[in-house]
This record gives sequence, structure tokens and C-alpha cells, in this order.
Amino acid sequence: MSKHQITLMVNGLERELLVEPNRTLTQVLREDLRLTGTKHGCGIGDCGCCTVLMDGQAVNSCLLLAFEAVGHEITTIEGLADGNRLHPLQDSFIELGAIQCGFCSPGMILSSKALLANNPSPTEEEIRMGLSGNLCRCTGYQKIVEAVHDAAQKMKGASS
Amino acid sequence: MLLPRFEYYQPSDLGEACQVLAELGDSAAILAGGTDLLVNLKTRKASPEHLVALSGLDQLKEINNGGGSLRLGSGVTAGILADGPDTLSSLTALIQGAASLGSPQIRNRATVGGNLCSARSAADLIPPLLVLGAKLVLASSKGEREVDLNDFLLSGARTILAPGELLTAIKLKAPAAGSGSAFIKLGQRRAMEIARVNAATSIALAGDGKTIQSARVALGAVAPRAILSQKAAQLLKGQTASEELFAQAGQAAVEDASPRTCHEFKCEVVSVLTRRCLMQSWQQARGQAS
Repeated sequence: MSKHQITLMVNGLERELLVEPNRTLTQVLREDLRLTGTKHGCGIGDCGCCTVLMDGQAVNSCLLLAFEAVGHEITTIEGLADGNRLHPLQDSFIELGAIQCGFCSPGMILSSKALLANNPSPTEEEIRMGLSGNLCRCTGYQKIVEAVHDAAQKMKGASS
Repeated sequence: MLLPRFEYYQPSDLGEACQVLAELGDSAAILAGGTDLLVNLKTRKASPEHLVALSGLDQLKEINNGGGSLRLGSGVTAGILADGPDTLSSLTALIQGAASLGSPQIRNRATVGGNLCSARSAADLIPPLLVLGAKLVLASSKGEREVDLNDFLLSGARTILAPGELLTAIKLKAPAAGSGSAFIKLGQRRAMEIARVNAATSIALAGDGKTIQSARVALGAVAPRAILSQKAAQLLKGQTASEELFAQAGQAAVEDASPRTCHEFKCEVVSVLTRRCLMQSWQQARGQAS
């Protein structure tokens, strides 16, 4: 099993890497690119801590070979803020106390971003279903749902 | 959890894929969405020397609709099906099955072909495709063959897919006017769950809008593979649709189920899910007929 040269597009930047075929996108993001905002949780697609966006869609990066991400645009939590200006979702999560230990937050926020891109005014039920692939073991789901709702309002206000 | 070592191939067209698979035979596993395979690799349930990725085959992601039939590429994701695109709007059971599979993240990767080839008894796309009469197109270096989904599935999460063979497409007849279908899954929670029992039904009404011309009932997670209940289908055929009849069909479906665990509970669930699915299918069929 030899290393192959691949190019990944991560947060708008082209990154050239030497990667073995059995490495997941989670590993390459964290270990090679030092983008440790993406968390490694269960490793089998249950917890959603490793969620990143691929072409705008939420995916579990622990179940994605880095090779399979070639040719797609990857967004991690590090790619969300605009310089020092946080994304409205990040603001709302902080303001409404939707972050406790913080381990699930990157995945929660990226799943929320994918949800709001398709559905700018989700109901509470739609928010809960949109986040159904993300576990929070501090069990702070209520505040997370409220934060997504709050961010949706802000984002609608900003775009109108 | 780390992945074992393997060599990775990414063929760029179907011919190349068939050739690579023919050469590698048993030592290769096919990588579609990876939501099952990568878990199996990590937990060492599978240890292929080679992975042949289908991600370079764009033709497997196509949905074609024409001449009263639909052709779904095996690489179409559950997420695309769950969105219910216009071309698939008449395939209610399939859309409902896809929407209940995993989580948004899983649906964005998991493919219909992967769900069929993993062939788990609790798979969410198999009962819908059984009641919709799906035929599968299997390709290899020797050519193509077409099989009924019902003949494709074997017990214990196995299929008739031969080494070197690849599922490329699922063919469906567009449901006629006056027909309907539905899928219901019972799990311990409403998302990110493997079905304890799932069921799908389809009904085609005769011209009078009351008589059942034909019906199918499929059940998951109550036998070593997903099954079509012949007893329920026979009971429904030619009868006048009613809630009472559907309750009887639910009882008949139980006779075809052989759950290994929680026998009493699952049998009760089969009867209820069958009845509810048939009610939904009927309502949809009536709506279309009028």
C-alpha cells in the first residue's frame, strides 16, 4: 500500500497531500492539515462529530476515504468564520448557551448550515430531524435547536 | 478506529470497472457510498485486499425516465430519493423508505445499490423496491443480465451477485393510474435507526376504483431476508378494498413472517404495519383514480 499524491479543496484552498488509500478524511484533516476542529468520535457514522460539508452537503468524514473527497469542495468548521467575524450559527450557539463541552459543536453547526441552506425557515421538527445524525452527550439539544432557530432568523434578516 | 490496509482502484468507466473486478475476483470489495463497507472494514467484519470505488462512474448516478419505465442508477443516493424528485414522485414507498434511512449525513452518501447489495434483512430500500417490482441490471466482463429483486436476495445478507459482477441499475415500471404505495418503519427512535420491523405495500385498483387488481406486501427484519408475503397478496387480489380487508391481510402477512427474536411483539407489529401501509396505499390509489 503506497502513498498517492492527491489534491483536496478544503475551505477554499487547494491542499496537496501524500496519502495512503486507507486514510479517512477525518484523519487527513486532523493529522495532515491540522484542522482539529473536526472531531473524531465513534468512527462508524453514528455520532456526527466528524461532520464536514462536501459540496455543501453534510457527510460523516470518518466514513469517507480522503481519496473519495478529491474533486469535491470540503468545508470544515474552520472555514465558517469570515476572518474574525463568526458565522451567525456560531454567534447563536454562543449567545444561547448551545455549547457545553463543545465536542459535538463543529458537527452540529455544519449540519445546521447544510439544513438552513436547503430550508431557511425550518420548523422545530425539521431542525431536530436535520440534526438527527449528531449526538450531544451533554444532552443540550433544546438550546441547540433554539440556536439554529435564532440563526435562521438572523440569516433571513441579513439576506432581505 | 483505523481502516485495514488495502489497494484502491477508481475506474473511470463501466468497462474498466468490470475488467478490474474480473481480474481481482474474490479479493475485491466494491466501494459505493461506503456507509456500510467502511464500518465493516473498521470492525474487521470484511478484509478485502482491494477496494474498487464506483465514484468515477457518473452514469451510475443518473435517473432516467421514459416510455413508462424508470431507470435508477445504482449510485443514486438515499438523499436524492428522499427529496422526492418529480421523476420519482409516484414511487411513494421508495421515497418514504429513503427518508427513513440513517441520518442526513448517511443519506448523502448511502446509495440504493449499496443498500440492495448489503442485502440486510432490515434494509429500508428493499421492501419498497420489492413492492414496486424492481428489476436489477447486473454487469460483468461477460455482459449484462437482468434479475428480479426478489430472486436477487438470499438469506443472511447475501445475494446472487457473482464475484466480478456489479449492480448498475434498478428498473421500475412507472405505477399506473389508480395505484399507490407506502412504507412504514418501526424503530426505537425516529432517526438513525435500524428497523425493528419495516413494511411496504402497493395496491393497483381496477377501473371501478374499488376492486384490488393486484397488491404486494413486503416485510423487513422478520425473516433471514426481506420477504414478499404471498399469503397477504393472494388474500387481497380481486377483493373490494376496505379497512377490514386490510386488517385480514395484516394477519395473513404474519403467517409468512418468521422473526427470530421477540416473536410475539414482531408478529403484532407486522399485522399493524401491513394494515396501516395498505390504508395509505389505498388512499393514494383512490386519489389518483379520481
